[in-house]
Amino acid sequence: MSARSYGMSIDIDKCTGCGACMVACAVENNVPPAPEGVNERKGITWIRVFRLDNGAEGVDRKWAFLPMLCQQCGENTPCVSVCPQQAVQLDPATGIVGQMPERCLGCRYCMAACPYHARYFNWWDPSWPAGMEKTLNPAVAPRMRGVVEKCNFCHGRWHAAKARAAAQGRRDLDPADYVPACVEACPTSAIRFGDLNDLENAPERGSFRLLEKLGTGPKIYYQTQRDWVREIAAAPGGTERAHG
Amino acid sequence: MKATRRDLFKFAAGGATGLLLTPAPWRLVTDAALWSENWPGIPKPVRGELRTRFTHCALCPAGCAVKARCVGDQPISLIGLPGKPLCAFGLMGHQLPYHAGRVRQADADAVRAVIAKRAANETVAVLDLRPGRTASWTYRRAMAALPRGVYLAARSSVPAVNLDAVKIILSLGVPVLDGWGTPSNVQQARSHFRLIQAEPAESRTALLADQWLKIRPGTELELVEALATGRGGAGTGLNEKVIASVANELVQAGALFLAAEESPSVLELNRKLGAVGKTIVAQREAPVPRSWKPAPVTPINSVPERSIGVLLIDESAADSYVPWSKLEGKLAPDALVVTFASSQAGYGRQAKHLLPTAVYPESTGDIPPAIDSPLATFRLTTPLVAPPRGVVNPAQFIGGLAAIDAADALRERAGAIHAAGRGSVCTYADGRSIPVEDIQPDQFWKALNDGACWIDEPGGKLLPPVLRASTPAVVALNWEKRAARGPMPPLVSKLYQESNLRVRI
Repeated sequence: MSARSYGMSIDIDKCTGCGACMVACAVENNVPPAPEGVNERKGITWIRVFRLDNGAEGVDRKWAFLPMLCQQCGENTPCVSVCPQQAVQLDPATGIVGQMPERCLGCRYCMAACPYHARYFNWWDPSWPAGMEKTLNPAVAPRMRGVVEKCNFCHGRWHAAKARAAAQGRRDLDPADYVPACVEACPTSAIRFGDLNDLENAPERGSFRLLEKLGTGPKIYYQTQRDWVREIAAAPGGTERAHG
Repeated sequence: MKATRRDLFKFAAGGATGLLLTPAPWRLVTDAALWSENWPGIPKPVRGELRTRFTHCALCPAGCAVKARCVGDQPISLIGLPGKPLCAFGLMGHQLPYHAGRVRQADADAVRAVIAKRAANETVAVLDLRPGRTASWTYRRAMAALPRGVYLAARSSVPAVNLDAVKIILSLGVPVLDGWGTPSNVQQARSHFRLIQAEPAESRTALLADQWLKIRPGTELELVEALATGRGGAGTGLNEKVIASVANELVQAGALFLAAEESPSVLELNRKLGAVGKTIVAQREAPVPRSWKPAPVTPINSVPERSIGVLLIDESAADSYVPWSKLEGKLAPDALVVTFASSQAGYGRQAKHLLPTAVYPESTGDIPPAIDSPLATFRLTTPLVAPPRGVVNPAQFIGGLAAIDAADALRERAGAIHAAGRGSVCTYADGRSIPVEDIQPDQFWKALNDGACWIDEPGGKLLPPVLRASTPAVVALNWEKRAARGPMPPLVSKLYQESNLRVRI
């Protein structure tokens, strides 16, 4: 199987902020609901949709929604370089930055190093209301307290697609077989996913990446026709101001 | 050689240092980590054969098609069909049966005996919060059979909106882009209608609308009057020019005025705009067996004060609700109020008895046509998991009071639809659409239970709806407003608590 470079293209102008991606991700990856009292600082949302505004008041105020997830940095991946446990690895076969909770000792260096704040720490053991554990996805193990987790492009689905291909005697995956949950759930098709090496998945002209100047080679591309959104997305201070 | 105490310490220190250079302690760390991942406090997902099943989401009248991924018989995730996505609430639906706040047990036989005793000489009323279902027909039949039965629907007139004909929508607080209609229909139609949202709060629809009129709270009807007459509107806080400009836009063909609450002035404005019969059309219902003799739909306002002796409220599927203050005056002083619900959050707080019901996706029933569907449809929500013991089926319970066996009502109605020979049945598993006349009744029934949808044939003139602006302040529920009326799946915390994506208004 040839090396892949999986990535995403997100059209900010199409995102309506419905939250379907966040919910579908939590269902797929067995991310538990937060205990009472937990806020957005300690909650776990592998993909989080931020609300941005143009800073104007009243009816001149314009809004946009920006889905933020692990940017799957392909070069000088900050979380990989700081992990003392080798619990984070960049898979050369897929380009996916994987997190192995069994190796993680919970030092949270990776969280400090991540420029996108896309990593989350398990402050509590995962728990679901009685009976709801029956609804967990058997392809993904729940993570224990004290480890870091993040988006891995629904790695369980990648394994399932690989197994399906092998069962059918194919070496390459059918692109339709491997689609992350957030892409599948997005009602406006704002999120597209694929191998960036394929021409049909190549980033469109005018698309940009967050904090591109850091040189980490993120594989999430964003598009927008609105200049003010582009300006805020390019400046971390602007995004921070918008989501508090 | 004599071993000294110093040698002993040197050996211990050297041994400890040397141990660090062996794999043993690191293996121990790894094993401890692996153990901690699987210790008894961490839930273990159930493994088994993966299956796919189809049904319809019963959480709102949109009734979206659902593809459920199941391990054995247990759904582990729900997803929409290609081009027909589910909303965030629908994606979490399979977790609802496990909500901690669910009511599971009640003495239904004792409640039945009390109702039967009082039904002989008192007025019995059924309040239906989702009219148009087969269960609604059962309630109407039961009320027709009882000596003093009254059927009340939360909305006496449910028109359909023909989104294909809409060019401009002025919405007065209706969550048009957030749970009002079928998400896929609204999404497809969005490119060809302009949305003006008049609302005091910064709702998601207001954020995404083409124009947001930030009016003062409580001035909704003043805005309607100003738009209708071209005078006044100062109290709304809007500039006169803005009101005049919106009024000018509305006179275009294809304008539609939507309001969260029914009122005569809203109805009048829609008549004036020419929306009635074009963009607001009569809701069509699937055929029903001729033998069913229903009671009429009684507007709540026309019920005499203090006249209802027994009020039965079907809250198991609620699309809108009537404020309790509007119902209270209709009740006799010693009235018995029984609600069928899954939690205490709604009318359960006022009712004397709460009979627990199955919740989606345990329940069996049909979903009336969506508000944005001018064509009649018939879709079943079939159980993906078995309901717990002790839950009551409201249709069978209320039907039983009038000796009506409602157990086969859905099948009887499917038979009537098949006998009419119109329309086609769409199966989601293979994406086919088969004319009803080409299949046998049993195949039709089986297809419906496997998650197919019957759609009436298009054609015929779209008729104007029979609108009555007589129902008191009925509040339509989108899924956010439902949170105040009943349990929500715990993962809603991702949207409200663990992020600031959605803010309670």
